[in-house]
Amino acid sequence: MRRLLPSLALGVLLAACGKPAPSAVAGPAASGGQTPAKVKAGFIYVGPVGDYGWSNAHEQARRALQKKFPWLESVIVESVPEADSSRIIDRLVSEQKCDIVFTTSFGYMDATLAAGKRHPGKKFMHCSGFKRDANVGTYFAELYQMYYLNGLMAGALSKSGQAGYVAAHPIPEVVRHINAFALGMKEANPKAQVHVKWLYSWYDPAKAKEAAESLVSEGCDALAFTEDSPAVIQVAEERMKQGQPVYAFSHYSPMQKFGENSVVSGQLVDWGILYEEVLLRVYTGIWDNRDWFWMAREGAALLGGEFGAPVNPKFIEPLKAKTLNDPILGKISAYDLVLKRLAQMSEPSVLFDPFTGPIQDQKGTLRLKPGERAPLGSLLSVDWFVQNVVGDIPRK
Amino acid sequence: MNASFGLGAETLSRSLAAATPLLLGTLGEITAERSGVLNLGVEGMMAAGAVAGFSAAHATGSPWIGLAAAIGAGAALALVHAFFSVTLKANQIVCGIALTMLGLGISGVWGRAFVGTPLACRFQAVLWSRDPVFYLAVVLTAALSWLLFRTRWGVAVRSVGENPLAADAAGLPVDRIRILCTAFGGAMAGMAGGYLSLVYIPSWIEGMTAGRGWIVIGLTIFAGWKPWKAFAGALLFGGIDVSQYLFQDHCSPNFLKMLPYAATLLALLASGRSLHGASAPPAALAVPYRKGER
Repeated sequence: MRRLLPSLALGVLLAACGKPAPSAVAGPAASGGQTPAKVKAGFIYVGPVGDYGWSNAHEQARRALQKKFPWLESVIVESVPEADSSRIIDRLVSEQKCDIVFTTSFGYMDATLAAGKRHPGKKFMHCSGFKRDANVGTYFAELYQMYYLNGLMAGALSKSGQAGYVAAHPIPEVVRHINAFALGMKEANPKAQVHVKWLYSWYDPAKAKEAAESLVSEGCDALAFTEDSPAVIQVAEERMKQGQPVYAFSHYSPMQKFGENSVVSGQLVDWGILYEEVLLRVYTGIWDNRDWFWMAREGAALLGGEFGAPVNPKFIEPLKAKTLNDPILGKISAYDLVLKRLAQMSEPSVLFDPFTGPIQDQKGTLRLKPGERAPLGSLLSVDWFVQNVVGDIPRK
Repeated sequence: MNASFGLGAETLSRSLAAATPLLLGTLGEITAERSGVLNLGVEGMMAAGAVAGFSAAHATGSPWIGLAAAIGAGAALALVHAFFSVTLKANQIVCGIALTMLGLGISGVWGRAFVGTPLACRFQAVLWSRDPVFYLAVVLTAALSWLLFRTRWGVAVRSVGENPLAADAAGLPVDRIRILCTAFGGAMAGMAGGYLSLVYIPSWIEGMTAGRGWIVIGLTIFAGWKPWKAFAGALLFGGIDVSQYLFQDHCSPNFLKMLPYAATLLALLASGRSLHGASAPPAALAVPYRKGER
C-alpha cells in the first residue's frame, strides 16, 4: 500500500501534465471566459422514469447526452408533484449546484419563473409553458403533424371508416392531436369518423385498455391514443391475433414491439436533439431565453412505431395498394402521400400544414377559410373539434 | 339485437377479467383479517407481485413460473408485515402503510429494466377463451369459503381473529396462525399483481396497480369478510370499470368517473347497517395479541 501511493500520485501528476485541461479542449470556453468547464444540468420529472411515455422519453434523452458529452453532469428528480416543484428546484440549484434546470411539466411553470427570480445567476428551461424571463426559456416538441399522418394511414386502412381515440385529458394539446388525426383520416376517406373516449388521466393502463375495448366493440377498427402505456396497442394486437383487423398507432415511445401485427405507425419524440442544442449553447456561453417549439422540420417530431421505421413494413404494401385522389398531387397511393407530406412538413419552409382551411367544426361553422393556415396561437388554445370527430369536449 | 347481445356478452367477459385481480386480492385480505391481522399493504404487495411475475416470466418464458414468482414476492412482503405486526406487536395500520410504500418503491426500482419490454409468453386459454388464472380464482373462492366456514382449520383461524385469548386458552398457536394467514394474504395479493402484469396488461409499467390494492381493502369490508360476497363485489366493481366507457357518449364522463367511488360509498352504507351480526368485522381485527395480558 505504501509503495503504491507515490506511484499513484506520480500517475495522477503525469496524467495532469499529459492531458490538456478540459477548458483548453473546448475552444469557445477558453476564449469566451464565462463558459464553465463542466455543465451540470438538473431534470425534474412529473412522473416516474418507469412510465413508458413522457418522463421516460426525457430520461432516455438525458442518458444519451450524458454518455455523449464528457463535460456534462446531470441529476434527476422523478415523480415530483407540481406543488413541491419549487422546493425541488431550489435543492437542485443550491445543493446540487446545477447550472441549468429543466422542468418538464406544464404545472411547474410559475415555480420555474419564481425560481428564475430567486437565482438570477442560473438558467432555467420550462417545458410546454409560455412564460419566459431573462434567465428562463421554454421548449416543446409538438407532434400534431405526425397525428395527421397517422390519421391518413388509418383512413386508408380502416374498413369501417370508424377510428377510436383514447384521450387523456380535455386540454388543447390533446384536442389538437385528435383534430389532426381526424383531418388526416378525412383526407383518405371523406366519410371517416373519429370517436373519442376520455380517461382523465395521462397514465392509467387499465382504464386505457377498457376504453379501447369499448371503442372496438362499438365498431372502430383503428385506434389512436394519448396515454403513456402500450395498453391500447395490446388491445389491437389481441384482436388482430383473433383474426379481427384492428390497426393501432403507437404514442410517444417506440411501442411497435407490443403490436408487431397491429401497429401501423405512430408518433415519436426525440428530446435528445433539443436538449443537445440547449446544453451546447449553455456550454459555449451562447444560451438565451428563447422559446424552442420544435416539430418535424427540426427533427424533434418523428413518424413511426419504432425509431428508424416511419411505417411498419407489414403495412407498406396495403398502403401502396390504396389509391387516393389529391387535388394537387393527383392520383397517389396512400403510402406515397404519407411520405410526400412528411417530406413537405420537414422542409425548412414547411410546405404543408394539416391545419389549412377550409376546416369546419362539429356544428359546421367554418373555422378556417380556404387556404388559411391556423396561427400557432389558435392551435395552442383550440377548444373545438373538427367536423368528423364524434363526441364532446367536456367543459369544466 | 344480435349486436347488442354480443356487446353484452363482451362486457360481461371483460368485467370478469377486470374483476379477477380484485377478487384474488380480496380473498387474501379476507383470510388475513379473519385471523385478526389488518394488512393495508395490499397495494405494495400487488406491485411487487406484478414486477416479480413479469420478470420471472420474461426470464423463463413460462407464465406459470411468473405466477409462482408473483405469489412468492407477495408472500415475502407479507412476512415482513407479519414479523412487525404479529411477532413484534407493532401498530398494524402503520406497518401496512409502510409496506405499501416499500412494495411500490421496490417494484419501481426492480422493474426499471423491464419498462417498454413486451411479454413474449402468455397463458393458454383453457375454457371459453378465458385464462386459467380466472378459473383458479373461482376455485379458490369456493375452496376458501369451505375452508373458513366448514373445517376445523377455519374455526381456528376465525377464533384467533375473534377472541385470541380464548383461542390461546384452547391451545391454538395464535401468532403462528396469524403469520400463516398474513402470508397467505400476501401470496394472493402477489398473484393479483401477477394477473395484472401477465394477463390483464401483459407488460410492466411503474404504478400499474393504480390503486387496486385500496379497492381490495374496501371490497373486504363490502363483502362482510365472506369469499362468495367478495366474488359478487369484485364483479360489480369490474363491471363498473368496464362499462363506464360504453356510456360516455350518452352521459357526462365526469359523472361516470365518479361511479366506482359512489358505489364504494353506497356499498359501505349498505354493509354499515349490518356491521353487527353476520357481517361484523372480526372482533380482534388489528389488535395485537400479547400472551398473558388482558
